[in-house]
Amino acid sequence: MVAPISMIYSLHLEAELKNLGTIRDFVEEAAVHLQANPTAIPNVVLAVDEMATNIIEHGYRGQPGTIEVEVYAQNEALIVQIRDRAPLFDPTQVPPPDLSLPIDDRPAGGLGIYLARKVMDDIQHRVTADNGNELTLIKNHIIQLSSGGPS
Amino acid sequence: MNFTVETVQARVPVTILTPDCDMDGSNYRDVIAKAQELQSGGTRYLLLDVQHVRYMSSAGLVALHSMAKLMAGEGSPDPTAGWDAYHAVERDRAGGAPAQFKLLNPQPRVEKLLEMAGLSTFFAVYKDRAEALAAF
Repeated sequence: MVAPISMIYSLHLEAELKNLGTIRDFVEEAAVHLQANPTAIPNVVLAVDEMATNIIEHGYRGQPGTIEVEVYAQNEALIVQIRDRAPLFDPTQVPPPDLSLPIDDRPAGGLGIYLARKVMDDIQHRVTADNGNELTLIKNHIIQLSSGGPS
Repeated sequence: MNFTVETVQARVPVTILTPDCDMDGSNYRDVIAKAQELQSGGTRYLLLDVQHVRYMSSAGLVALHSMAKLMAGEGSPDPTAGWDAYHAVERDRAGGAPAQFKLLNPQPRVEKLLEMAGLSTFFAVYKDRAEALAAF
């Protein structure tokens, strides 16, 4: 049986770097409303910011576009979905750095992706029905159900 | 993005640069440009006071690294290089904290980012301005 999800907080805006602060504030406020552990929220905000920055800088590459962010809770997990219409790119396919290798032999990839992976429990990518990107960022055991839980 | 710039005569002349907002993908190039402007104007010792920076992303880290390189007279690495920029940071980290660039007053979120990126010991970090100035 699939666990019910909470109310979904949604933000839709132009994919411009000047909007990164708005995205961060939105994710932080939604996480607070969903009763996420306050000490864990900054990591989620960082991961979303890094992914949104990648989409705007390397996905749209200065071309106009939109970015949509949804935040909700499912059981004790906080889930953030980011959708865009930039060219298809799956950041989960960027190989994780092999820290046993010499630095210069490590595969290239985004520093932001590295940090986002480090702070989230799971990141998934799928192609949407209208051929866009959808990233799902999951942080487990962050919602404080004991205090009433999300509704 | 606005900055406060102050020059203090310590053992050497130190420029104290204080940005007034968060450092992220929207403005990290502005920070690097300001450091380039200062370096062109003769600044060789830079103390970055980040007391007003509540949030910093990996783009901000790249700006910090670029400033350290500029003060060392090595030019600024390509800020869009992603892991390549990170490689450069790690290579430099092996050589110890850069003497000409120091960080003052990082807030807890910034300190945590430095820690996660393994850079908390690469940049000399101070909480006390007088102590930071005396370290140049």
